[in-house]
Amino acid sequence: MSAEAHAHGHADGHGHHGHGHHDEGFIKKYLWSTDHKMIGFQYMFTGMAMALLGGFTVYAFRMQLAFPGISVPGYGRVTATDYNALVTTHGSVMIFWVAMPVLIAALGNYLIPLMIGCDDMVFPRLNRLSYQIFLISAIVLIASFYVDGGAFGGAWTSYPPLSAKAEFSLTPKGSTLWLLAVALEFVAFLLGGINFVTTVMNSRAPGMKMFDVPIVVWMIIIASILFMASVGPLVAGAVMLLFDQQLGTGFFDPAKGGDPVLWQHLFWFFGHPEVYVVLLPAMGIVAEIITVFSRKKLFAYKTVLYTAIGTGVLSFFVWAHHQFIAGIDPRMANIFSVTTLLISIPVAEMCFVYIATLYGGSIRLTTPMLWALAFIGEFLLGGVTGIFLGASGADIYFHDTYFVIAHFHYTFFPIAFIAVFAAVTYWFPKMFGKHMNDTLGKMHFWGTIISFNFIFIPLFVLGARGDHRRIYDYRHFPDLMKPGMQDLRILATVALLVLLAFQVVFLANFIYSLFKGRKAEANPWNANTLEWHAPSPPPHGNFPEGLPTVHRGPYEYSHPDRQDDFWPQHLAGDARSAQS
Amino acid sequence: MSDTAHAPATADHGAGHGAGHGGGGHAHTNYVKIWGILLALLVVSVLGPMLEIRVVTLITAFGIAVVKAYIVVKYFMHIGIEKKYVGYLLATMIALMVLMVGGISPDVLKHDGARWENVAAKKVVTEGQAKGADHGDAHGKTPEAAPAAH
Ligand code: HEM
Ligand SMILES: [Cu+2]
Repeated sequence: MSAEAHAHGHADGHGHHGHGHHDEGFIKKYLWSTDHKMIGFQYMFTGMAMALLGGFTVYAFRMQLAFPGISVPGYGRVTATDYNALVTTHGSVMIFWVAMPVLIAALGNYLIPLMIGCDDMVFPRLNRLSYQIFLISAIVLIASFYVDGGAFGGAWTSYPPLSAKAEFSLTPKGSTLWLLAVALEFVAFLLGGINFVTTVMNSRAPGMKMFDVPIVVWMIIIASILFMASVGPLVAGAVMLLFDQQLGTGFFDPAKGGDPVLWQHLFWFFGHPEVYVVLLPAMGIVAEIITVFSRKKLFAYKTVLYTAIGTGVLSFFVWAHHQFIAGIDPRMANIFSVTTLLISIPVAEMCFVYIATLYGGSIRLTTPMLWALAFIGEFLLGGVTGIFLGASGADIYFHDTYFVIAHFHYTFFPIAFIAVFAAVTYWFPKMFGKHMNDTLGKMHFWGTIISFNFIFIPLFVLGARGDHRRIYDYRHFPDLMKPGMQDLRILATVALLVLLAFQVVFLANFIYSLFKGRKAEANPWNANTLEWHAPSPPPHGNFPEGLPTVHRGPYEYSHPDRQDDFWPQHLAGDARSAQS
Repeated sequence: MSDTAHAPATADHGAGHGAGHGGGGHAHTNYVKIWGILLALLVVSVLGPMLEIRVVTLITAFGIAVVKAYIVVKYFMHIGIEKKYVGYLLATMIALMVLMVGGISPDVLKHDGARWENVAAKKVVTEGQAKGADHGDAHGKTPEAAPAAH
């Protein structure tokens, strides 16, 4: 790594500070770094730690649902207020502190400069600030467990009037800290998004034209733009809610002439685009992996790209499908039903394109490929059940039942975990220069996928039987204790325990491979994109032999005129002068 | 996204210099001047509605907000370099704003339905209108004094 010395210093702006280079200390290297890869890792490990919190909370409240009133091992008795706080924390953490940081911030930071062939983000200090604000937001959220009244329990959607008044929420400080944490998190991602978009606009390797940019990079960019365009009204709404909580204003308080439904609009105007903010990067990851492991060109690159943009645009037109029974104008409900059904078309189209990519390929069922394929299958189930919910008539019945819970977990789990496991197992050799253990990887895969379905299929059934969500103890509701219902709850909880247990396999594999894994060469999967041209792991500055030049698109696999079945983007020359 | 790729240094320019030097002896845009313009516009946008003429209120409140947003985007967000994006960005965001307000208004501007009535909201509106009528008598129509409800 002799390149370290001269590459160093570039990322730090123009280095006008007038001092020479000294050895990076631990703090400078790991905690105060401006290197995009290190910031990516910071986001990734913080996200993983938060995933443990998200997992622990769901363990505690699912145990309460399956075995009401027991003392949960490792937690104790779950009281009704505990239950609310646990559910709220689970939802908020998984979406804002796991899916967002890992999919967008961690992978975006790690991959964008490497995949577009430059040495760092264009605003490295802004990048560092982004992570630091994110870290503070996580700390604020965790701190809310320790204040008077405990953590907020008004659900991740934080609907007023419950969230607006301490008399209702019983968490005078917790609800404010929750809002503050979410607002800080938004600031962090706004900074990150600006950085991503500017970097891809300005720093692509010479020769890399718009349609040579890998799909995953495009997806992260589209997602960042969606986020930036949708979050504004919610930030304003959050300030208004904060005023309602702390200053006694009545924006959302009907008793003062306010309107609680207004919050729902502001929340979902952001909230629905947000689901595509996390979906699109996941779709991008899958595109990279299925092309590599079927040795085929992505079927219809431009279609995927335009479809993704179209999905992004449409995602702004569907938000009120979350409010069909909130008393919204029924004529609006009709419109939003139609737009909701429309948006399933581009999403389905992307899935078809991926299946068409696989068709006729020489498929290698490696661990990342298994995850990518599972993503398509499981996500389809989530999307299809969305159609039921999008029909406003059906949703009057389904709303707030476990059917909705199962629906969005069939979308979110594939996004936040299946796609992320695909990404981590695929890029691990690049990130750490080591291979992960394949046997453990496959064990983890099957254990997770099977138990995942055993959790949520029962919840579909329960939901169809009318099982209401956000209930602390079903024994108070004889209608929801009909024969078999509690058995299904127990089944889902037991499957959850199995799923959680299998994550130990992942963590063990991760840590074991980090230290003891087989050494990985620069391009172990024979892939085309630029990050595989850099050494594994890439040094500070990424490309010690100089920044690459791009000669072709990212998915030239099995080109008929070429001996090798892959054709890296940076190689000069036509097909016949094959070298590799 | 432009079709040609530039060296990373161009984009880092702003950040590197902004942080590296205290006072700029550079050929930078004069940020203080722009800030002054924004301040002047702010004063107009506060004074304008005080005339209590509906058209003037709309122009000075919303019209000037758009102009200010444009200036911020152009100079402080440095999008002046990529001129055509300023227009696209503004147009997109305004379209989104219209969409959002359009989607929300049918709900939040409605204060009664077949089986319900938002008494408190109606009361705030009538009170506000009465208050407006009191001191805006010269013009006789000043509904903008009742924004408290929404
Ligand atoms: C493919 C098309 C999709 C359709 C047609 C659709 C439709 C819907 C509808 C109508 C609801 C409201 C149900 C109710 O509350 O009664 C809903 C809820 C939800 N959906 Fe989707 N959805 C789709 C995709 C997604 C995706 C991709 C995600 C996540 C990445 C997602 C996440 C959610 C979440 C989180 C909720 C529940 C929010 C809550 O009330 O807590 N959906 N979906
Ligand atoms: Cu939605």
